[in-house]
Amino acid sequence: MEVQPELASGEVRHLQRCINDLVSLLALPAIWSGGDPSQVLHTLLDALMRMLRLDLVSVRLTDLAGEAPVEIVRIAEPRGLMPPVHEICDALSQCLENDSRQWPPLLRNFMGDGDVSIVPLPLGPQGELGVIVAAAERTDFPRQTEALLLSVAANQASIGLQEARLLCDQKRVASELDQRVAQRTAELAAVNEELKKELAERRVMEEKLGQEERELKRSEVRKAAIVDSALDCIVTIDHEGCITEFNPAAERTFGYSRDDVLGRPLANVIIPLSLREKHRQGFAQYLATGEARVLGKRIEMTAVRADGSEFPVELAITRIPLEGPPSFTGYLRDITERKRAEHELRRSEAFLAEAQHISRIGSFSWRIATDEIIWSEQLYRIFQIDRDAQVTFELIATRIHPEDLSAFQEHIERSRRDRSDVQLEFRLKMPDGTVKYVHVAAHIRSDHGRVEYFGAVQDVTERRASEEALSKARSELSHVARVTSLGVLTASVAHEVNQPLSGIVTNASTCLRMLAADPPNVEGARETARRTIRDGNRASEVISRLRSLYGKKDPTIESVDLNEATREVVALSLSELQRNRILVQQELADGLPLVAGDRVQLQQVILNLLRNASDAMNTIDDRPRDLLIRTESDDNDQVRLSVKDVGIGFEPQATDKLFEAFYTTKNEGMGIGLSVSRSIIERHHGRLWAMPNNGPGVTFSFSIPCQAESSTSDSTHAGHIPPVPDAA
Amino acid sequence: MELRQVRRATERPLVSVVDDDESVRESLPDLLGEFGFAARAFSSAEEFLASDCVDQTRCLILDVAMPGMSGPDLQQELKLTRREIPIVFITASREATIRPQVLAQGAIECLFKPFSDTALLEAVNSALRSK
Repeated sequence: MEVQPELASGEVRHLQRCINDLVSLLALPAIWSGGDPSQVLHTLLDALMRMLRLDLVSVRLTDLAGEAPVEIVRIAEPRGLMPPVHEICDALSQCLENDSRQWPPLLRNFMGDGDVSIVPLPLGPQGELGVIVAAAERTDFPRQTEALLLSVAANQASIGLQEARLLCDQKRVASELDQRVAQRTAELAAVNEELKKELAERRVMEEKLGQEERELKRSEVRKAAIVDSALDCIVTIDHEGCITEFNPAAERTFGYSRDDVLGRPLANVIIPLSLREKHRQGFAQYLATGEARVLGKRIEMTAVRADGSEFPVELAITRIPLEGPPSFTGYLRDITERKRAEHELRRSEAFLAEAQHISRIGSFSWRIATDEIIWSEQLYRIFQIDRDAQVTFELIATRIHPEDLSAFQEHIERSRRDRSDVQLEFRLKMPDGTVKYVHVAAHIRSDHGRVEYFGAVQDVTERRASEEALSKARSELSHVARVTSLGVLTASVAHEVNQPLSGIVTNASTCLRMLAADPPNVEGARETARRTIRDGNRASEVISRLRSLYGKKDPTIESVDLNEATREVVALSLSELQRNRILVQQELADGLPLVAGDRVQLQQVILNLLRNASDAMNTIDDRPRDLLIRTESDDNDQVRLSVKDVGIGFEPQATDKLFEAFYTTKNEGMGIGLSVSRSIIERHHGRLWAMPNNGPGVTFSFSIPCQAESSTSDSTHAGHIPPVPDAA
Repeated sequence: MELRQVRRATERPLVSVVDDDESVRESLPDLLGEFGFAARAFSSAEEFLASDCVDQTRCLILDVAMPGMSGPDLQQELKLTRREIPIVFITASREATIRPQVLAQGAIECLFKPFSDTALLEAVNSALRSK
């Protein structure tokens, strides 16, 4: 047959390409080596698509044990009339369901709507591995060389897949093996660990056992030592009540030796005859019923010594926890000393309670950190609070007088803060309305960080009452003193008034007689009448001075010129002083500031001082009876008045006593003048004192503050002076 | 006034007044003059003793309470020096003890100020009569 050259050269190229493709396919296993099946399939499909210009190629691997089924599809673009891929796949799936050996070598137009040639290629000798499907729209597909390439490719793929699968299996087996080995190794390690632990535990156990054994031994030794050296008597008895152990303390306390009493009934040894029967009954009852009145408790009873003397003991009986018939341990302690101490404590407590009751003093403690307050019994009584009540500040507040409550609480807070000593007085108001005055004195004590106030509360209601009574008495005394002064003054006042009266009467008589004469002595009568008037004025002056001294009832605050007040007093008492041969000298400072006060009260004080000075010099005959009265202003805005005498003086230590009511160095007189004077001066915010002179006698002085606005004598601006009660 | 007293002293009995109170010293001599006596006044016992009138005085009107030497002191002094002048005491005091005290010492009378002119005249007259 004649071969055309064009044709022949095209044929040659085709064959050459075919051979090249064949070589490529044969080389594929080298590429696949060590790869997995999907890698094998991907490279294969790519190679077929390129070599055969396929429109579609797909591979499906059958479901092999342990591996997921694989289906891979490659489609060329553009695809022309090709039906959608999934339709092709579905159609293929249906017709390829069957045994691969019955597959047709070529399917043409099997979907009816295009000219597509499909070549199924079984994988594996029996198609058991799966199938490759190659499809093209070309009518010449597959040509002879293409069919050859496809079958070589399928063979190669089968081999590659087999190898890949084998390799996978090998890998899997190897990894499984590795895993198993690792697991086993881990198991072995765990077991090993377990064994080690067991060994260690066993060692510890052994050690412990040894230690316990040693400790048991030690404990026994110790127990013996304790029993031997215990201060308590330790006596053990068996179920029959016979002594099985008797320690040295028991020997000492009861006066028996251990050997004497072992085996003897306990009752006969240490229990007094009077209680022995009771003991036997109790013991018998316990053995019979298991009931015990004394077991596990601390009881006090009387025991007897070997010499028959009885003494109080504290007894605790415990049953020894051992198998077999019951046995007991008794712990006995001689509590003679404790009993005595208890008795003394009780007595001392009773003393204290009684003392608190009598003195109306209760005591307390207050722990700052917790507000824990503890009261003595008397304090409950003072507050009239139930003995069982828990004392709290809330409870205390219910008893504090409402007017004093805030001050009280403030004081408590201050104490809590400052921790200073407490001195305070306040009122209580009882539920029935009675008011009590209490005085609290407390100081803080810190003991190992425990900060506590300890204090006493005294019911001073009675003292308050007596203070009030005293104050009343003092004001009465003041009245008495005034009346007394008045009485003593009467003589001098009468003298002062009678003197001019006498002149008046005499002059008037003379006048009448002169007028009655013949001829009447008119000149003489005029002269006597003039004198009568003068004496009348003199008398009226005396009386008005007297009225100013005694006529006022209430203390009044006014501006007082002490110099003037002094001059008046001196004028009034001058004749009395002169009669007593007192030489009065006055040194009254010029420009003395005014003081605010009660003029009459201050004059009373001056009068008292003058009279005292005069009295002190009554018996002095070896020297002139000099009396110096002096006023001066102080540096501290005070005005001072002093009266200096040269009298008998007083002992230095008697200075304070001088001012006590009823203390007197004089044989006569009531001696209340100075105490009243002092209280008057103190009410003027001043001070009254006495100092022995360098020479003979004493100087009494008082000082009172100057009036704040000394330029004015307006009495409404004068300071406040508490009234002297009952100043009349 | 002084001249008249001196002049009459020779013919009338001398009554001396000793009192520290000026109004008494002023008024009493005039009244005594009206009674017809010669009168001299002294402010203290010391002044009287120092004067030349002690021996001429027929009656002494004497105050009880005086600075320095008191009335009773003067009474004692005169007694001790045996110049027993009849004394009429006058006093402004109301002390009850004074009167019996001075009377016991020999005084003629003790008058309490203020006293009436008749009481004074009676006392002076009985003083003058006593010698």
